[in-house]
Amino acid sequence: MFGIPGAATLPLYDELLESDIRHILVRHEQGAAHMADGYARIKKAPGMCIATSGAGATNLVSGMATAYLDSSPVIAVTGQVPTNVLGSDGFQEADIFSLMMPITKHNFRVTDPSTLATDFRSAFRIAMSGRCAPVHIDIPKDVLTREDGVPPRPTPLPEAPLEPSKDQVSVAAKMLMQAERPLIMLGGGASWSGAGPEALALADQLAAPIVTTLMGKGAVPDTHPLVLGMIGMHGRAAANYALENCDVLLAVGARFSDRSVGEPSSCRMRVIHVDIDRTEMGKNVCPTLGIAAEAKASLAAIKGAINLKVHSSNWSQTSGEMIKRCTCDIDVCEDPISPRKVIHELDAALPSDAVIVTEVGQCQMWAAHFLDIKDQRSFVTSGGLGCMGFGLPAAIGAKIAAPDRKVVDIAGDGSFTMVCQELATAAKEEIPVAIALLNNSRLGMIKQHQRLFYGDRLTAQDLSGIDMVKLAESFGAEAIRVDQHQDLAPALQQAIDSDRPCLVDIQINREEDIFPLTLRTAAGSNVHRGSCPYDGGC
Amino acid sequence: MEVISMIVKDEFGVMQRIMGEFTRKRINVETIVVGKCEVPGKARIVLSVLNKEMADIAVERLGRLQDIDAVEVVDEPRQSAYALISTSKGWCGLIGSRDEVAEIIEKTDPEHYIKTVNAL
Repeated sequence: MFGIPGAATLPLYDELLESDIRHILVRHEQGAAHMADGYARIKKAPGMCIATSGAGATNLVSGMATAYLDSSPVIAVTGQVPTNVLGSDGFQEADIFSLMMPITKHNFRVTDPSTLATDFRSAFRIAMSGRCAPVHIDIPKDVLTREDGVPPRPTPLPEAPLEPSKDQVSVAAKMLMQAERPLIMLGGGASWSGAGPEALALADQLAAPIVTTLMGKGAVPDTHPLVLGMIGMHGRAAANYALENCDVLLAVGARFSDRSVGEPSSCRMRVIHVDIDRTEMGKNVCPTLGIAAEAKASLAAIKGAINLKVHSSNWSQTSGEMIKRCTCDIDVCEDPISPRKVIHELDAALPSDAVIVTEVGQCQMWAAHFLDIKDQRSFVTSGGLGCMGFGLPAAIGAKIAAPDRKVVDIAGDGSFTMVCQELATAAKEEIPVAIALLNNSRLGMIKQHQRLFYGDRLTAQDLSGIDMVKLAESFGAEAIRVDQHQDLAPALQQAIDSDRPCLVDIQINREEDIFPLTLRTAAGSNVHRGSCPYDGGC
Repeated sequence: MEVISMIVKDEFGVMQRIMGEFTRKRINVETIVVGKCEVPGKARIVLSVLNKEMADIAVERLGRLQDIDAVEVVDEPRQSAYALISTSKGWCGLIGSRDEVAEIIEKTDPEHYIKTVNAL
């Protein structure tokens, strides 16, 4: 459980002394929510955060919205003013019950101690049933102190995952068998359900390539010959090409977000949409066939219904060629250091089961575009909300969930400094996460967009003036500064191997942007020139 | 106009959560009636939206909420319209089909009125 105590939650903290629950004292409640989120995504189980009433509770909001948009089962507990003060604008009173409503699957305000135990059990069940999502419990202080609580009523287990209907599976199989250019697109739902092996088996049977969304990255190994990589604004050209040119798209656990597919009207192919959440059907793209069911079971069922084996086709050969053309050399040996070089060295240094977490911004897209998630590696990022400040605390949560795995936060200086005080949490709690800080002393994505779309009129993007090494050391972490490319590999290895939190302050080329940048509209794609050798590349 | 009926928990905050779904999907609620119903601890909400597409979207989203036990689109034979009208001669309540109530309002041209739909 991650949190900070306050007056309204002190009764609960007093009871924690008698409990075996591990509590991590954070330095800001946003960090607590992100830590719970990172923990949940790696553990595949609810992560808990706790804050006091008023500002403590409102500080959780960004983290809960992040978890909501990425379907992560975070349970947030907030203290509240006593019930006899509720609604009187008492000290540290905020209507967090209302504030949390649109960013949670459900929330409880417990005003009767007799329902408290049952409400907690319901919260865990709701968070893990169907499409995972955060749940919030608001508890007035007097409810925590009264002695008239009752044991919980029996609570049903989380709902069993939805199975696809035979009829729908049969139609999907027929559509895929008749397709000339089938494509499988995996989103966060496929990644959460562990549907990678089923997706690869189906792809192999159909000789169909696979693309992933940002949230689906890691569902299948990026290095598999049928995997074209990530689609989207900063996706790989091969993946975007396949999305534009397929005739039947099997989208699994994906929601067709604007950053992934551009304008929904650009999706002119026939779409089979598999999602555990029925309300995703037709929300952004109207499918030819919608299957409201769990990803892994659906893929297995569709594969079982396909009675042919495609060994090769022009489409799959084209995909193979596309991968070759889209595989560029990122071992860039120059100074100032290229961020692609950082990704190259991280790929070489990280073990096969590493957890890679990202902050938000250019650093996130460099990681998503260039870093191969292969073997048992996991990729954790803020996809839906794009919440700056996510990476470091999420990495801390992930490390607690998987203490035997190496965890690295691929960070930018803008996102990192929003939550850098959580380095103190990591140091004090002895949580050894590595931070690869791609430091360009800028809000890099803002600078890039101002250059591209605002006539190079740069404003409000300069973040220079922080000594990141001193900052990290002051929080009790190790820190190394690197400004020569040949020093990069040993520094990253030292950080990854360290038994303390360790920041590598990498002075990257301040002028380098993340390319390609693809804008998909109904009229077609506009690919800005960049480092990719495919259409529009350098 | 389409009418949606639902059985919900009779607790504070439930209406806010339900209206949040309409806000998120930019659907205006044209009319609404709420009250206790035959199920202990539950209330029935009957509301109307402009068209079938909106009703279908709303029903899908409302079906996900923990506070809602049942939700359906109500066909026209089960609907009634109500109005309370006020003219210089006094006020009165009306009940009938949607067309009937609309027709009376048009004929009487009341200074003030409110009309809604309800259904079981």
